Amino acid sequence: MRISIIKPGIMATIQDMGRNAYLSQAVPISGAMDMLSARIANICLGNDDNAAVIEFTYAGAEFGAATDVMLSYAGSGAVLKCDDKILPAERPVFIPKGSSIKLMNGQAGSRTYVAVAGGWDVPMVLGSRGTYIAAGIGGVDGRALLPGDILSSCVDISTISQRIFNSLRVDATHHAGWSLRSDTLLPDNRKMIRVVPGPEFTWFEGNSLIDFLSTPYTLSLQSNRMGCHLEGAKIGHLVKKELLSTAVTPGTIQVTGGGGMILLMADCQTTGGYPRIAQVAAVDMPLCGQLKPGDSIYFTGISRREAEMLYIERENNLDTLRHAVKHKFL
Amino acid sequence: MQTRAEPYFKIYSLSESAVTIEFGNEISEDILQRISSFNKRLLEQSLPGFYSSVPAYTTLSVFFDPSQVAASNTLTGADCFEKVSQYLTSLKDKVQDSLTVAAPMITIPVCYGGGFGMDLDEVAEIHQLTAQQVIDIHTKNVYKVYMIGFVPGFAYMGGMYEQIATPRKATPRKTIPAGSVGIAGKQTGIYPLATPGGWQIIGRTPLKMFDAGREQPSLLKAGDNVVFKAIGSEEFEYLSH
Repeated sequence: MRISIIKPGIMATIQDMGRNAYLSQAVPISGAMDMLSARIANICLGNDDNAAVIEFTYAGAEFGAATDVMLSYAGSGAVLKCDDKILPAERPVFIPKGSSIKLMNGQAGSRTYVAVAGGWDVPMVLGSRGTYIAAGIGGVDGRALLPGDILSSCVDISTISQRIFNSLRVDATHHAGWSLRSDTLLPDNRKMIRVVPGPEFTWFEGNSLIDFLSTPYTLSLQSNRMGCHLEGAKIGHLVKKELLSTAVTPGTIQVTGGGGMILLMADCQTTGGYPRIAQVAAVDMPLCGQLKPGDSIYFTGISRREAEMLYIERENNLDTLRHAVKHKFL
Repeated sequence: MQTRAEPYFKIYSLSESAVTIEFGNEISEDILQRISSFNKRLLEQSLPGFYSSVPAYTTLSVFFDPSQVAASNTLTGADCFEKVSQYLTSLKDKVQDSLTVAAPMITIPVCYGGGFGMDLDEVAEIHQLTAQQVIDIHTKNVYKVYMIGFVPGFAYMGGMYEQIATPRKATPRKTIPAGSVGIAGKQTGIYPLATPGGWQIIGRTPLKMFDAGREQPSLLKAGDNVVFKAIGSEEFEYLSH
C-alpha cells in the first residue's frame, strides 16, 4: 500500500511510541504527542501499537492513494475527507487507488494520526521509527514530510489486518461499521489536567501552589513538540537553591527563573536544571498533546499511586480493545 | 540507631515510568564514581521492563515499562514505584564494596582559534592571556564527563582551570556549528549538532560527537576522562574525512 504526500500541512512527521533506550546519550523519547490516538489508529487496523503513523498538525494536508490502501485515523486535529466524503475516525477505512484525501478543519485539537495496515515503512533508528528533527533521525530522512514524499506500508501485515482488509475491499471507499471510541477512555473534562506533585513542589510559595492548582494557564505561541509554554499566574520561588541538572521526562512541569512554567513534551531534553513543580499523569499527556496556542487548562492534584493506577487501567482498557478487534476477525 | 554513616541514597518517583536515585547534593568525583559503579551493576542486572538509565551530576534515573514491572513476579512491592525502589535498594546493598569502574581516556583533537574558535581572542583578552596560553591551559588538564544532556551527545565536563573560566556570551548565537568546543563558567563542552548556544567558542573538533549509525551514538559517556589535543587546520581537514 502506498500514498504520496501532496501537501504536508504545517508539520507532518512519522512517529511511533518513541525511543527509550538512548536517554543516557541525551536522545529524547520523541514519538506521538498524543500517544493514545496513535495507538487507537493502529489497534483498529490490527497493527502493533508501536507501528509507525503519520502525525499531522492541524488541517490543510493532502495526500493521494497510489494503490488501494487500508487506513485509519484518530486524534482531534482534523477530519479526513476523501473526494468530498467525510471518512469516519477510529475505524478501518478502505480507499481505492487514485483517491485523494484531505485533512479539513472541524475539530478542536491539533494533531491527527494516520495509520496504515502494517505500519508505515521507514527505517528503525536507535530502536524507533519516530522522527526527531533536531538530530535528523528517524522517520523519512530525519525530517518532516514534504510534498512528493512517497510512503509505503510494511510488507508484513498481521493476519487480522489482512482479514479486515479482505472484509472491506470493494471498488469504492468503504469503512467498517464499528469503531474504537477513544473518548470512552478519556475524562469528560478535557481541560482539567491531573498532576502529581514534583520533586521540588515544596520549593515554591504557598500562594503560588494554590494558583497552580486553581487558576487557568494558557498555552503560548512558543509551544511545540519540545514543550508547552504556559502563561498565567507567576510561580514564586520560596527556596532559592540552584538545582543541579538532572533527568526530566515528557510531562515534567518546570518553573523558570522568571516564574513561568514549561510543560515538557515528546521531544524534550533528557536533562534539565529548572525546579519541577509537578509531573502530568501519563494518562493525561494525550490531552496535552492536542492543545494549541491559546487553549486554557487547569491543573488538579492526584497522588503518585493514583497516577500509576490510572496508567495500569488505561493499559488494561487498550488490551480489551485489542482483544475485541482480534476476536472479531480471528 | 545507625552506628555508621550510610552513603547518601534516596529514591523519588519521577513519573509512572521512571524513578530517580539521589547520591548526594554537590558535584564531586566521588559521587560520580558511586553513580557509575551503581549504574554498571544495574546494567548487568537490570530489572524486568528496564528501558534505560540516565546518569546526571548527583542522580541516576531509571526508566522502565510499568506494565512489565506490574506483571513481574520476581519484584516485590505494592505498586510499580515500590517494586522498582526495593529492587534498586537491594542492588545498592550488593554494591556496597563499591567496585571501581575503569574510566576510558578519550583524546579529542581540536583546531583552536580562527574561524573554528571565534571567541578565542575574546577569552584571552578577558583573562589577559595570549591565545596560545588559553590553548595551553585548555589542553593541559584531564576533564571528567559528568553527564550527557541538552542535545544528543552533549557532554558536560568538569575540571577546567579557573584561569580560563569565562561567562557565557551576553547574546546566544543563533547557530553554532557541530563540533564547536566551548567554555561556560567553569565548564567546557562540545556541541555535537548545529544548535543555538551561548558558550564561548574557542575551537572545533573534526570528530563526530554524535552519530546515530554507531553502536554507541554518543562518542562520550558519563564517567569518561577527556583530554584535548591542539591540531592544525590541515590535520582538521584530514580527520574530517
